[in-house]
Amino acid sequence: MSNFREDGPGYPVTEATRVDKVSPESRILGKMRALIVAIIAIVMLIPVFVMIMTSFKARSDIVSVPPTVVFKPSLEGFVFLFTERAVVAKARQADFKAAAETGELNIIERVAFEAGQEVTGPSDYVTRLKNSLIIAGLSTIFSVSLGLFAAYAFSRFDVLGKDDLLFFILSTRMLPAVVVTIPLFLMFRQLNLNDTHIGMVLLYTVFNLSLATWLLKGFIDEIPIEYEEAALVDGYSRWQTFHKIVLPQAVTGIAATTVFCLIFAWNEYAFALMLTSENARTAPPSIATMLGRGGIEWSAIAAGSLGFLIPVVIVVFALRNYLLRGVTFGAVRK
Amino acid sequence: MSIESTEAVVQKPDQKKPQRRQLSDRAIVNLFIWPALILLIAMNVFPLFYSLYLGFTDYSAITRQQPQWVAFENFSKILNDELLWKYFATTGRFALLSVGLQTIVGFSLAMLVNHKFKGSGLLTTLILIPMMISPVVVGLFWKLMYNPTFGFFNLLIGYTKFLFLAFFAASLFAAYFLIKRYISKKKIYLLITGILFGVLGVVGFLAYFSDYSLFGFLSGFFNPSTAPDMLASRFAGTPVPGMALWAVVIVDVWMWSPFVMLLVLSGLKAIPDYLYEAAAIDRASSWFQFWRITLPQVAPLLLIAILFRTIEAFKAFDLVMGMTGGGPGDQTELISVNLYRQAFLGQWRTGRASALAYIILIIIIAVSNLYIRYLNQMKGED
Amino acid sequence: MKIKYLLMLTVVFVLILSACAQPTQAPAPEEPAAEEPAAEEPMEEAEAEEPMEEEAEAEEPMEEEAEAEEPMEEAPAVTELNILWAQWDPADQLQQVADKYEEVAGVKVNIIQEPWGSFGDRFFTEMAAGGDAWDMVIGDSQWLGQGATQGHYVELTDFLTETGIKDSVTPATLTYYGEYPTGSGQYWGYPTEGDADGWAYRKDLFENPDEMAAFEAEYGYPLAVPENYEQLMDIAKFFTRPDDGLYGVAIYTQKDYDAITMGVENTMFSWGGDWKDENNNVMGIVNSPENIESLQFYKDLYECCQVPGLSNAFFTETNDAMLGGQAAMSMNYFAFFPALASPDINPYADDTGYFPNPAGPDGAQHAALGGQGMSVISYISDERKQAALDFINWYAQDDVQADFAALGGYSCNQAVLESEEFLNAAPFNPAFAETMTFVKDFWNIPEYGELLEVSQRLFSQFVVEGVGTAEETMNQIAEEHDAILRDAGYIE
Repeated sequence: MSNFREDGPGYPVTEATRVDKVSPESRILGKMRALIVAIIAIVMLIPVFVMIMTSFKARSDIVSVPPTVVFKPSLEGFVFLFTERAVVAKARQADFKAAAETGELNIIERVAFEAGQEVTGPSDYVTRLKNSLIIAGLSTIFSVSLGLFAAYAFSRFDVLGKDDLLFFILSTRMLPAVVVTIPLFLMFRQLNLNDTHIGMVLLYTVFNLSLATWLLKGFIDEIPIEYEEAALVDGYSRWQTFHKIVLPQAVTGIAATTVFCLIFAWNEYAFALMLTSENARTAPPSIATMLGRGGIEWSAIAAGSLGFLIPVVIVVFALRNYLLRGVTFGAVRK
Repeated sequence: MSIESTEAVVQKPDQKKPQRRQLSDRAIVNLFIWPALILLIAMNVFPLFYSLYLGFTDYSAITRQQPQWVAFENFSKILNDELLWKYFATTGRFALLSVGLQTIVGFSLAMLVNHKFKGSGLLTTLILIPMMISPVVVGLFWKLMYNPTFGFFNLLIGYTKFLFLAFFAASLFAAYFLIKRYISKKKIYLLITGILFGVLGVVGFLAYFSDYSLFGFLSGFFNPSTAPDMLASRFAGTPVPGMALWAVVIVDVWMWSPFVMLLVLSGLKAIPDYLYEAAAIDRASSWFQFWRITLPQVAPLLLIAILFRTIEAFKAFDLVMGMTGGGPGDQTELISVNLYRQAFLGQWRTGRASALAYIILIIIIAVSNLYIRYLNQMKGED
Repeated sequence: MKIKYLLMLTVVFVLILSACAQPTQAPAPEEPAAEEPAAEEPMEEAEAEEPMEEEAEAEEPMEEEAEAEEPMEEAPAVTELNILWAQWDPADQLQQVADKYEEVAGVKVNIIQEPWGSFGDRFFTEMAAGGDAWDMVIGDSQWLGQGATQGHYVELTDFLTETGIKDSVTPATLTYYGEYPTGSGQYWGYPTEGDADGWAYRKDLFENPDEMAAFEAEYGYPLAVPENYEQLMDIAKFFTRPDDGLYGVAIYTQKDYDAITMGVENTMFSWGGDWKDENNNVMGIVNSPENIESLQFYKDLYECCQVPGLSNAFFTETNDAMLGGQAAMSMNYFAFFPALASPDINPYADDTGYFPNPAGPDGAQHAALGGQGMSVISYISDERKQAALDFINWYAQDDVQADFAALGGYSCNQAVLESEEFLNAAPFNPAFAETMTFVKDFWNIPEYGELLEVSQRLFSQFVVEGVGTAEETMNQIAEEHDAILRDAGYIE
């Protein structure tokens, strides 16, 4: 830096060399900024660390005084998560002890026995996870697509009653879920959508549609209309302008909207609880109310939440570049 | 032929003669809007109207009797109930605190993350994680964390003393920069603030390292009976009204600031660089750039974020129910928690709950209208 | 133009939906449509109302249709029974016992377990729709009122009398888990899982010689299992040592549903207090001096000796307090004690003892009731009802009940409760057997939810939040209960 005039840039110039951005002060500020963000990220993630730790702790470590940071990891949480268990009655404990000693129990059963329980079968966690994937995934795709189309139309055209329609779309999200549950339950029963994947996909699509439309309209509004005007003049059809000009620029918005819709559908609890029972039940109801035998199985809940969190994190991580992409055109000056 | 405007008013016949077979504007609009609207109407109309109807009855969902029409009795009972007004006030306070703090934190985070640096993608994903966890689980785990005996929260408060250290260090840095700027710009206020910060930093450091007991209260609370019990609204046994609500606000802000951050970030990314370049060339100060360029460009998205968060603050109950169940006493009894209590939990006063839900709806509509009007004004779509 | 078109579509759709809606809602959607400010089609609605009313009368065809859809129906015999219960150990134990029924009668019994937090909501939502997802439910004693008056349960009086099952269970359990209205002789459930509030304590602390000496020196009588609440308070205070991380008690304080009311009931009932008299009067009963005194006592106990962080505590939190060694005594339902007795869950398992709810200052001794009874849902086919009754008949036999108890279930069968095996089966069984002789319940009328909400809110406000006095609190509860009961017609 210091010998710029003589030697030229000492490293590839990848940032805009803005007049106010290359002084030593702002370089330090830049590095400090990165540091601060890292610290904030760590602080914000402390509860998540707690969750991760908890999923590997044995019961007594979780409720120990004072809170333990260093502990002996145990697979209890994961075993509890993936199996159904029952407390071993005193009468059978002797048998079990013998079996444990002779090595007849596999690792899962052994961990369960260490916590005083026996395995009675696999839990339905994996099924629930699968249901969540299907239902949340499909509904996100549908709601973002439909929302995208609607948002474009609302943004670019003067639809009659636009404000009212937009408000109607928003209002579908305003009624507390609690109250809508019973009518929805009755409606679903009538249409035989109760406890079906289709029913839940429809429901979540509808509930995400308002968020998707509004967000995407906000994003599309930001895109200067001149691009489309130019394209139309050049003979593109409306559909082609939408397809080739607007969509690429709206990618950030679409990514953000996808993330939000996915998260909402993924974590939705009230409807999943009331409108499903065996077939299409997603994971949140089962994780949240996993009150085990005689106490909250913190480790199982932590393990379940982690497992449930990971797909979403993966999706967001995959989309991160789209989320952070900036507008690099600059070809249009107003 | 030329197109005068790209705004096609649906009612007028399409003026453009297609040069090849293409969908007309009107068809596009219809095609784009109707599927969404049809779906919304189909799924929402029955519940909406049925709930409204129930609000005028004294129906209880578990009795198999016909709903009895009672006209406005439910509504008048609700509006005359002191307790419910108290809950509304609590909810209002919660919404204000929570959304306000989320906005500040989210916006600041977005500003920080805006500039590309190594690992910014990863860090952004990490910061988004709190939002991705199910609210019920969040409530459960924060309950564990707030536990005065084996929770981490009290332990972590002890580490805020490092924040104070950082603050004093930052004061010294600020003093340095301000005085440097004064030397170049010769503005007197720079000198004064610079000296003030410098004094603050120096005094702070001295106080910190000499008389430690001043900051002793921040060394972490290990003894539960002299520690704050956030969810029970007590500090060392004495009730401190309002603490439980703050506990819930903290969790809500923790969880949803990433939402605001992401939206603001997207807005920030959309601001073309040339605006800043032009301002920099004109030697505009950073503050001016922020106020006149950044904020107006981001405002629409920010407002949408605030709008949605406010609506959710009125509806949210998973989180609160998991942590405090509405207690202690009434301190965190948000209106949606009470709604759930009336609609389920043994009472099953479906009619009354529906009436209450519609009152909440009206309030939300009123508040949203204000936001939207402001939003439209900002975009010049009046 | 467009709005009108939209609204027309809306109304038409609502009409179509109402046409298929169940009779209880059929006339409904028409009314709000009329209220809508934008109702530009009053004509259409008026016309539509006629066909709606006709639909409303046709109740039977609807139910029959629903039944006809049941695939099970086609089979001549019932091969499967579904029983809904909460997700906890007793349900597992019941499943294990019920598996034997398949060998006996060829019917597979599925115990469908729903977590406690959503058990009630799920059940009543299904009942609201008249659903037949389950054939039987093992419901809380408080649900009897709703189940009986709203037609969800099948009346079992004749069945229980003819088969003699009525006499096989203890009279107290039959009253509380099966009878509604109380004293009427009408039965709606077979007492399946008896439960009540009891106490667990740390034997090692109680039997430690140093502790015993110090206690006697301070309080003047030997340290032993408390027989009355005054002793319990002394012991609690004695063991409250914040610096050691040990506290006297872990008692119920949860506001969500019913926990804190159950907790206060333990003191209230032992003080000789009650919620009502024979004529359902509450004024003067709810705010009687005994009740006020007992509430004050509960609060004092909470303030002085409750484990910190248990401001919203129910069975999990109080158990956790024992597991973590924080509490010297804890209150819980007997159904949750197996976790404390298991050495693999509880590091103090061998040092944990149990005692029934202590007596009050006047010698009265009662405990708050928990527990459930097995009821038959009335929305299933007659064939299934018969199959369900057959199952209950088999299940109620002494030997089957003994099996259930051996696994750890809390049978209500008299013979089993008195047997030696039962008393020796688990360390808390003796206390349990004793407690079941003096249990007392909250209201079980259909309006119990509203009464419960009042007591929950006000108890939480006084005990946990620290607002008001015991007298004010009880007075307010009495007033609000009085209003509710008058509204519902229980008091003239």
